[in-house]
Amino acid sequence: MSNFSEKKIFEEADIWIKNNKKVSLATVVQTWGSSPLGIGSRMIVSEDGNFLGSVSGGCVESKVVEECISLMKTKKICKKIDFKVSNENAWEIGLACGGDISIYIEEIK
Amino acid sequence: MKIEIIRETLKNKSLNKEFALITNLINGESEIFFPGNNPSEMFSKYSEEIEKIFHLNKNGIIENSQIFVQTYKNPIKVIIVGAVDISMYLIDFAKNLNFEIIIVDPRGYFASKERFPDTKIINKWPNEAFDEIETNTKTALVTLTHDPKIDDPALQYALKNKFFYIGALGSKKTHEKRCSRLVEAGFKKVELEKINGPIGIKLGGKSPSEIALSIISQLVSEKYKK
Repeated sequence: MSNFSEKKIFEEADIWIKNNKKVSLATVVQTWGSSPLGIGSRMIVSEDGNFLGSVSGGCVESKVVEECISLMKTKKICKKIDFKVSNENAWEIGLACGGDISIYIEEIK
Repeated sequence: MKIEIIRETLKNKSLNKEFALITNLINGESEIFFPGNNPSEMFSKYSEEIEKIFHLNKNGIIENSQIFVQTYKNPIKVIIVGAVDISMYLIDFAKNLNFEIIIVDPRGYFASKERFPDTKIINKWPNEAFDEIETNTKTALVTLTHDPKIDDPALQYALKNKFFYIGALGSKKTHEKRCSRLVEAGFKKVELEKINGPIGIKLGGKSPSEIALSIISQLVSEKYKK
């Protein structure tokens, strides 16, 4: 299942890297229930908070941007984040549609 | 992930190659995997599962592992017969919907580079054009000239080659006439049910852009039907 918009995201990532920006890639790697976007959906985040693409159609993007920025500040290479409706942040970042998703974030080197 | 892997992915996609991008979620190491080949040592244990996910055209984590597989297969090829107004809007919609478009029209005035920049155009009669296009059961045909001389040979080719989608522009009456011509040409009535005529889902619109929207909607819905 290859997605056309991913081409745009990868091309943009290449441009940001060429402009000496730190860039992270976020990918939906697992879903349960009625998650908004499918496995393999991607998004890129730059160190200054710019982002392109989507991993949930708007539900958890702000949290993913935050997580990516903090990942790029540390020496960590990657991280898997689970978003569940039942967690205590549900009101802020929970999925309105009731699904759970796992998002993998990694810095592009 | 290394930027080189992203560049390689883009390159392989532009060359219409089919492959998988595999990632070890524990250490972030990724590589490109071509079906039938052996992955590197880190992934070799999972080669069977990777192939399986690839052939199912899926993305996902291999069970009981931390290996993520993202599959890259070529988009559905849509051959549009008729370089008409509707085709321009179709191309516009298709750009963001992962379809590969090829325009066929023997009429040079219609099928010009000026009218269709950045699109593959074959300025030939359908029968000659099909010699140049690789088709399979994932190919779609959209005929838009409503000129039997041009549309009919393309429809015959698509029926014989079991295209995944066939749609023909024209009213119910036009379609009835078209079907009788195809029956005369030797096709069975049940085979002709494969043709979506009148083309597109019912939106009610009449303008070229609205017709294009109804056609592209039908294509998307057919894509997910199976």
